[in-house]
Amino acid sequence: MSHVELKFTSRIILRMLRLSCLRGLDWHVTSWTILQSTMREISPLSHHIPKATFPSCRSLKKIHMSHIRTSAQGFPPQHCRLPWLLGEQRAFYSQGSSKTPKPGSTAGIKLRTRLVVTLLFGGGIIGTWWYVYQEKQQKIQMQRMEQLRKVAVGQGDFSLLDHTGQRRTKRDFLGRWVLLYFGFTHCPDICPDELDKLTNVVRTLDKDTSLPTVQPLFITVDPERDDVATMAKYVKDFHPRLIGLTGTAEEVKQAGRDYRVYASAGPKDEDGDYIVDHTIIIYLVNPDGLFLDYYNRIKNDVQISESIRNHVKNYVKLFPD
Amino acid sequence: MSALNASGRKACWDARDELWKCLDVHQDQTSACEKHQREFEAKCPAQWVKYFVKRRDFLKYKEKIQNEGYEPTEGASKL
Repeated sequence: MSHVELKFTSRIILRMLRLSCLRGLDWHVTSWTILQSTMREISPLSHHIPKATFPSCRSLKKIHMSHIRTSAQGFPPQHCRLPWLLGEQRAFYSQGSSKTPKPGSTAGIKLRTRLVVTLLFGGGIIGTWWYVYQEKQQKIQMQRMEQLRKVAVGQGDFSLLDHTGQRRTKRDFLGRWVLLYFGFTHCPDICPDELDKLTNVVRTLDKDTSLPTVQPLFITVDPERDDVATMAKYVKDFHPRLIGLTGTAEEVKQAGRDYRVYASAGPKDEDGDYIVDHTIIIYLVNPDGLFLDYYNRIKNDVQISESIRNHVKNYVKLFPD
Repeated sequence: MSALNASGRKACWDARDELWKCLDVHQDQTSACEKHQREFEAKCPAQWVKYFVKRRDFLKYKEKIQNEGYEPTEGASKL
C-alpha cells in the first residue's frame, strides 16, 4: 500500500474505533454521522480496505502512536473494557444501523450476566420473604403455646378419691399420658364394653416399650351408688392399672365439667335401680394435663392405639422442666 | 341389687343373647321363648331388662332403616 493509502486506512480504522470507544447516550447520532462520512470515504477505496478487524483500544493506541498524528479529541480512553460495554450499547441502541456488529459472544455474555444478576436478586427477595415468614410463624407458635399453657393449668382439674380411698387430683397425673372414661358401675353393657376396649388399648400400648405407659382412669357419674368399695370391686375386672375415682356429687360434677360430660340419672324403679344416661367418650390427656383427643364408640382399640401413638410421637412439652 | 361383677355381667349377656336368638327364630313371638325370658329376667337386674328390651327395639328399627330405606317426613327441607 502506498503511504497515502495506509494513512487513509488508518484514519478509517481510527474513526471506527472512535465509534466503538465512544460513550454517552447520543453516541449513535454522532456515530452514524461518523459512520456515514467514513463509508463515503471508504467506497472509493473499498478494494484496499482490509476486513473489518477490531483491534482492542490498546493495540489501536499503539497503531495510532506509531502511524498517525491525530487530533487529541476523543481518542480511545484508557480502559479497555469499553468496547465490551459499548458492544452492549450497540446491541441496545443500534437497530442494525451499525454495519459492524460485535461478535455474538459479547451480547451473549451480557445476557448470561443479566440472568445471573436477576436470579441472585430474585433469590435475595425470596430469601428475605422466607425469613420474615418464618419469624411470623415462630411468633404465632409462641402465642399458641402461651394460650395452651393457660388452658392446661385450669382445665379438667379434679379432686377425687380413688378406689383405695386415697385422694387424687389432676396434679398427681401430670407427666403421664391419661385415658379418661366417665361411667358408672351399674351400667348394663356400654361401660363394660368401653372399659374392655380401654384395657385392650392400654395392653397394646404397654407392649410397645418405646412408648411411655398410659394411665387409665375411670370416673363415676353415679357417686350416689359408686362409693370407694364398689369402685374397687368394679375395676378389678379390667386392667390392673385402672384407677377408679369417685367423690361427692359436687366433686364429680366439677370433674366432668371441663370435659363437657353429660350425665343424667334415669327414673328409679322399685329396686331403687336406675340407669344413668351419659356421654360415652374416652378422653386422651397429655402429660401437661391438656385434653388432646377423644374417642367414641365407633373407634375400635386398634384405631385408638394408633391415634395415641401418633400423639405421643408428636408431643411437645409445654412446660419445660 | 349391687352391681354385677364380670362373671355376673357375662351370665346376663349370655341369657340376653339366647333370648334374642330365640326371638329372631320365632319372629318376636314372646310366647315361644318363655323359658329364655325367665332366665334372662333372673340373671339380669330389672333396669337392665328394661334397657335391653329398648335396645332390641332400637336395633330392629336401625336394621329396618338401613335395609328398607325411609320416607322423609312431610315438610322436610328440600336441600
